[in-house]
Amino acid sequence: MAVSVLPFVRLKLRITRNGLRGRPARIAMFVVGAVFAGLFAVGGYLIFALPGLLEHSRSAGILLPLGGALLMLAWTFMPLLFFGVDSALDPAQFALLPVPRRTLLAGLSVAALIGLPALATLVATGGMVHTAARLGGPVAAVAALLGIVSGLLLCVALSRSVTSAFATALRSRRSRDTATILLAVVAASLGPAQLLLLGLLDRADWDTVTMIAQVVGWTPLGAPWSVGVDAASGRLWAVPLKLLIVLAVAGVLVWWWSRTIEQAMLGASTAGGRRATTAPDTRRPVERLLLRGLPRNRFGALTSREARYWWRETRRRATLVTLGVVGVFLPLSSAFGGAPEGAGGLAVVVGAIAPLGLANQFGYEGSAYATNMATGVPGRLEVYSRAAAHALFTVPILLLVALVTEVSAGKPEVVAAQFGTLLATYGVGLALVLPISVWAAYPQPDTSGPFALSSGGGAAKALPSLGAMLGASIATVPLLIAGFLLGPAWLWVGLPLGLAYGAGAFWLGAILAGRMIDRRMPELLAAVSA
Amino acid sequence: MSIPAQRTPGADTPPAMALRGLVKRFDTRLAVSGVSLDVPAGSFFGLLGPNGAGKTTTLSMAVGLLRPDAGQAVLLGYDVWHAPSEAKALVGVLPDGVRMFDRLSGPELLAYHGLLRGMPADVVDQRAGDLLDVLELGAGNRTLVVDYSAGMKKKIGLACALLHAPRLLVLDEPFEAVDPVSAALIRDILQRYVAGGGTVVFSSHVLEVVERLCSHIAIMSDGVLRMHGTLGEVRGDRALQDVFVQVVGGRVATGSELAWL
Repeated sequence: MAVSVLPFVRLKLRITRNGLRGRPARIAMFVVGAVFAGLFAVGGYLIFALPGLLEHSRSAGILLPLGGALLMLAWTFMPLLFFGVDSALDPAQFALLPVPRRTLLAGLSVAALIGLPALATLVATGGMVHTAARLGGPVAAVAALLGIVSGLLLCVALSRSVTSAFATALRSRRSRDTATILLAVVAASLGPAQLLLLGLLDRADWDTVTMIAQVVGWTPLGAPWSVGVDAASGRLWAVPLKLLIVLAVAGVLVWWWSRTIEQAMLGASTAGGRRATTAPDTRRPVERLLLRGLPRNRFGALTSREARYWWRETRRRATLVTLGVVGVFLPLSSAFGGAPEGAGGLAVVVGAIAPLGLANQFGYEGSAYATNMATGVPGRLEVYSRAAAHALFTVPILLLVALVTEVSAGKPEVVAAQFGTLLATYGVGLALVLPISVWAAYPQPDTSGPFALSSGGGAAKALPSLGAMLGASIATVPLLIAGFLLGPAWLWVGLPLGLAYGAGAFWLGAILAGRMIDRRMPELLAAVSA
Repeated sequence: MSIPAQRTPGADTPPAMALRGLVKRFDTRLAVSGVSLDVPAGSFFGLLGPNGAGKTTTLSMAVGLLRPDAGQAVLLGYDVWHAPSEAKALVGVLPDGVRMFDRLSGPELLAYHGLLRGMPADVVDQRAGDLLDVLELGAGNRTLVVDYSAGMKKKIGLACALLHAPRLLVLDEPFEAVDPVSAALIRDILQRYVAGGGTVVFSSHVLEVVERLCSHIAIMSDGVLRMHGTLGEVRGDRALQDVFVQVVGGRVATGSELAWL
């Protein structure tokens, strides 16, 4: 068995290495990603080891199962949302090779274990072993070790089977489109739901929390992480039971995964369904392309095309849907979750998240950008039209966010000023994101699966845009200070001031990005062509 | 330099496409090493070569989609890398292996191309209607280009390249994946276009098509231009197939290999 798994490991390492070869920017991002993984590992270790160091078994009983469960949820959903199905080791690619399914499963699992996330998780949960050892000696430590290893296996099985099942179910473009949107809604509501939960926990007393932790400890999500504590507090009988739960669930998942793998391999060659056509459209071509009210020139054509893409291209629409859901529910959940003062601040974060949809705007369409190059679209026009199309969807969402936030906080008179602040954040965010979209563009082929990114690099690709988000949030601080100093007058000048601030920032960023495009059009095309 | 006013090719007409020492290196591999080529105005020019010969790379550099490491590309008197807007305005391009904005329907895509080329809306409407009609793509069709068949995608791509009535057409593998009926149609359109004074440069590895259509051909392999000239000059009194195989250094089956098959 070990012999047959080895090629998969080598393949995975080779793909990772080839993804980095000769691309200093990617290497830098990979290093930054590795540093973050390292920080996460060390930080996680410290957090999980803390109850042990303090010899506080009650907090261990709460922290370990709940923290571990969160970790496992992250393993389930993060790959779907951010990193995509690792198409490098897509089962469909092995369809024609005579590899037994058992070998394939083992190989893909082991390959999934090789990588920063698995390593970081193992180190972070190592803190649990530390805690168990301090609280209950070597027996508890061994139990905790068994727990975290089985837990990691379950994490991998979960993420693999979920992504694989999704990739299979969504071969046709139509179903893929629907699922992407649905998933975006679910994912977007996760964050607010968590905040709501935290708000509730905040009000609940510790006995309730302990009870919740104990219940979670018996679910597959929390079981592997709580065995150490169980052993330490003398409930040795629970250890084999919980490990059994974990292994049984992992077994079921692997079985399910193996079935979806088979389907994935079969489905590889069948093409997606064709869109049903309705009655012929008798309007003239230009009329069909242009949105109402846009000029019949290059700007009109570019903006209309881009706006239609925000709606027709699923990943883009998912971005918008996510933004809408997060934008409305994040401030709401904070308002109802016991911290209404924070709602306005959270709304600003929404303004900073909004431009991220453009962070890899050229990657969405890939080599189709060649059309704009061949027709000689100047960089500035390119940037303006894309930002205009994005704003067409985003500005109404921001207005809605401002309305919901301030009305739910009982301060309807602040809506205009809040909207101004959001526009300022959005403008600054655009100014930062537009050059990034030219400088750090990467291909994002939409053929293999709804969430697929190209292989290699993974989370590291998202780093520049996260930096932009942070920058946009920081850049609005002067505006917030102005609002604080101006007092009631802010209610009147907030909107025009915010608009001017945002527009000015956007203008600078657009000039910079436009020049960058003019200078490196061919390089940009090469960067986004898969 | 200026655009040639006369349409008939002659000795004093500048070439429609002039490439000088184009070089492109990918990582460590030399994809195109020093290609120099003149495409006479009014010619039907076929660029031949086996897979991986560097045809697409050369044409991409010629039309300004790929920055060459060295060399120069001049289209109808304008340097693609120094006067890109003038050069691009006169050229229609059908790239191969490049996506289109395929979340638009065919008519929308044509309108997009037309407006980007700066054409008046009514001209765009009229020409787009004609092209959709002639290429049998259906003017009222709501299907998105992403759901088109491979042949239909080629046809809509060709329509986009023709829309602004360019003086030079650069087509990368225009006949690939096209059914015989559509291929005949495309051949007709291109032949009429050349008869009207236009110039066509296209790449292919289908020798029959090239032999039937082209006035001039060039043969590439391993990134080097092996041979070029009029069809008669290149072919001599032999079959094009033999010349091609000999020039690119392909092996001829002797009957002894793969004996187990």
